[in-house]
Amino acid sequence: MSEVPDNLSYTKEHEWLSLDDDGNVKVGITDHAQDALSDVVFVELPEVGSSFSKGDSMAIAESVKAASDIYAPVSGKIISVNTKLEESPELINESPYDFGWMATIEPTEELEDLLNSDSYRELIA
Amino acid sequence: MTSRRTPLFSHHKELGAKIVDFAGWEMPIQYTSILSEHKAVRDGAGIFDVSHMGQIFVKGPETIDFLSYVTTWDMNRQKKGDCRYCHILDERGCIIDDTIVYTISEDSYMLIPNASKISKVFDWLSKNSEKFEVSLENLSDEYFCLALQGPDSSRLLGQHLNTSVGSFQLVKIGDTIISGTGYTGEKGCEIIGPLSEVVNHWESLVEMGAIPIGLGARDTLRLEKGYLLSGQDFDGNQTTLEADYSWVIDWNHDFIGKEALMDFQKKRYPKLRGILIEDRGIIRPGNLVFNNGSKISSLTSGSLSPSLRKGIGLAYLDLDIGTPITVEVRGNHLNGRVVRMPFL
Repeated sequence: MSEVPDNLSYTKEHEWLSLDDDGNVKVGITDHAQDALSDVVFVELPEVGSSFSKGDSMAIAESVKAASDIYAPVSGKIISVNTKLEESPELINESPYDFGWMATIEPTEELEDLLNSDSYRELIA
Repeated sequence: MTSRRTPLFSHHKELGAKIVDFAGWEMPIQYTSILSEHKAVRDGAGIFDVSHMGQIFVKGPETIDFLSYVTTWDMNRQKKGDCRYCHILDERGCIIDDTIVYTISEDSYMLIPNASKISKVFDWLSKNSEKFEVSLENLSDEYFCLALQGPDSSRLLGQHLNTSVGSFQLVKIGDTIISGTGYTGEKGCEIIGPLSEVVNHWESLVEMGAIPIGLGARDTLRLEKGYLLSGQDFDGNQTTLEADYSWVIDWNHDFIGKEALMDFQKKRYPKLRGILIEDRGIIRPGNLVFNNGSKISSLTSGSLSPSLRKGIGLAYLDLDIGTPITVEVRGNHLNGRVVRMPFL
């Protein structure tokens, strides 16, 4: 069974979001997504300062067999990225909700179309 | 076309395997993870269900002459109990398939074609057998093949069947053939026999500690050793010379494709070369290869090497070993160079 923490929000593209106190949004991929991808062996992160529209491909996580796009869950500017993933992409598998976070975004719009943990559990059931 | 399953399909599912279509078969691509399965074979022992591969039997007084004619190797040089890797070529010298020929006895041989090429190879052999006193039988649907690979595999084989087998040799126990062959570059064997026996072999070897390995790790293991993947590194339009496998050719005998190869030899032609990527990133089949800014080729194979933790690939190139190249991945150029194979 995949872990789905109650305190996070989710997208249908299997990303999780957490709202920081300063209004920025931290983004990563869910336990279900990392399990489906299997060993993440390479991560291409966005540049800090770059801007994305909601739904744009902002990062790529690659397993041995496949490359998967990570879509911006909200429009905004990249504030920081988890550079540890460059050396240790396996953090996404080992700790998808914590050490495996990918980027923080300063949103330029309201957060919309997100799932709560119950709805996300239903989606992957 | 409906997908086919080996008798071990339910075992694979119970082990949590992810299943993919491969040449019309529902096969396990991985059980746990490609990286851990790859390591299990390099460090210990892994077991692969490769029952989708073919078994074609050739018998009769002119079997040696026939097989020498339809393959790149002179089977007069083989002794009973030998296994030989060689190519089956068309008249143009292009590889129809690569196969291992098993000398079971002086007039009884077995070939192991790739799953996607079984009927093509069988039809080709049948068509070319008319001048020879031989009989061909395609028993691919009645035989299993398990590969037991890795440094611990001979210990497990000894425990399981109380036997041992040398590299590229075979032993026969009843209807079961055990050969010192594989597709990983590690010590190991392949066990081939009637389908009804596959579950027993699988269950006891897994119980003894052989780790189930999927097709994902099979691909990374073979690529690190520079072994060809049928249908990908050759697709019916490349000669053995271009694949840089001239060591499988015995020029001192007549075989289909020989004349074309002799003409081909006079030309300058690109050869299948290893590419090792120095930048971080993963290369995939189809990615374009550049030299001095010009597009020169595309990758036939490409992956992360789990052992080297670097991108490795194969491409047909007219470049010397050591030449710097780049491989384009999503618009970025990753730096690498042409290297001698095997990678590992």
